Amino acid sequence: MKHLPKHLRPRRRYLAVAVEAWPDADVDRGDFQRELWYAAQNLLGDAGSADADLTVLDFEMSDGEGETVVRVRHGHVEPARAALACVDEVNGHPVGVAVRGQSGTIRGCEEKYLGRRGELSTERKVVFENEERSAVIRSDAYDVRTDAAFAGATELDFE
Amino acid sequence: MYEAVHAHPDGDSTVARHARTAAEYGYDGVVVRDHGDARADYDAERIADEYGVDVVEGMEVRADDPEQASGYVGNYRRQVTLLALHGGTAALNRFAVERSRVDVLAHPMAGEGDFNHVLAKAARDNSVRVEFDFSPVLRATGGERVQALGDLRKLREVVEHYDAPYVVSAGPFSHLQLRAPRELVALGEVVGFTREQMRAGLREWGRLAERNRERRSETFIEPGVERGRYEEDD
Repeated sequence: MKHLPKHLRPRRRYLAVAVEAWPDADVDRGDFQRELWYAAQNLLGDAGSADADLTVLDFEMSDGEGETVVRVRHGHVEPARAALACVDEVNGHPVGVAVRGQSGTIRGCEEKYLGRRGELSTERKVVFENEERSAVIRSDAYDVRTDAAFAGATELDFE
Repeated sequence: MYEAVHAHPDGDSTVARHARTAAEYGYDGVVVRDHGDARADYDAERIADEYGVDVVEGMEVRADDPEQASGYVGNYRRQVTLLALHGGTAALNRFAVERSRVDVLAHPMAGEGDFNHVLAKAARDNSVRVEFDFSPVLRATGGERVQALGDLRKLREVVEHYDAPYVVSAGPFSHLQLRAPRELVALGEVVGFTREQMRAGLREWGRLAERNRERRSETFIEPGVERGRYEEDD
């Protein structure tokens, strides 16, 4: 179909979103999109969710650290933030979600707020609560493998 | 703005990790609210220095009945800067709002808990902060969440009407469950709170901490009476 004339096209805002999880989490764009739709529908209802029109673009995640751009209809950024806050698990993996900033273009969003995922992670033995454990380390954040799960720590906990 | 967190071993992340993420999200501080039977061992000052957020040594007293709670409050009040009481039953909610030594009545609507005008007036008179607990809104689903939203609304209406003091928290058990202040404000707005209420509730933890630190300082005698700085005369 022919494109709408410019003044009739919906105006958008783009949110730069940081996503965090334990290092073994396996999450891709589709999974995150699905959970975000569920979260929006449960919180805002069908009508509110259609208004916000949340679309996940450019999702990238590795070793529990990721970032993405979420497209939102102009004027619905606050409900979109609320829906993002309610994304608690993806595929059963607990996730932390935070909006780093918003912009009127995808490019502006990426340049200003994204691309900060820095160092690669390393894995090392540490002593946590008097037991030798293996930890996935990125900068000063330590994700320590405990018996069934992970514990979050930082460099300070091993001084 | 402050957030009150459950740190390892009560939660999954250490105090340092909570503080690190809280700093990244723009909080001014975290209150450690570990339950009495699972208290974290940490160096608040060292963590505060490293991550640039205030770390408040608090605790959430969890007791089976008012008698036991009374004993715990007596024991721990002097040890911690901020003392919350794990609410959620009629007897414990009642106990908390009638004790001015309790700073915060945590999640009064959890479990079997309920709240009414009598408790709201007592909370106001004893300046016990009532907690608006957003954890079920953020992390529960289905009927449980609908129930929690209904309870939150009831609590808000009673608290607003009697102008009782309150705090707001997402009650995170790991750094992954922390949410930034702006996100919590947006969420509060969707479920009927005003933006200013949400911000005030998040700031209140910090104000409480500041007040209690002043009270615990050596120059404090009682509200309005402080030991001044005078020259020794001989």
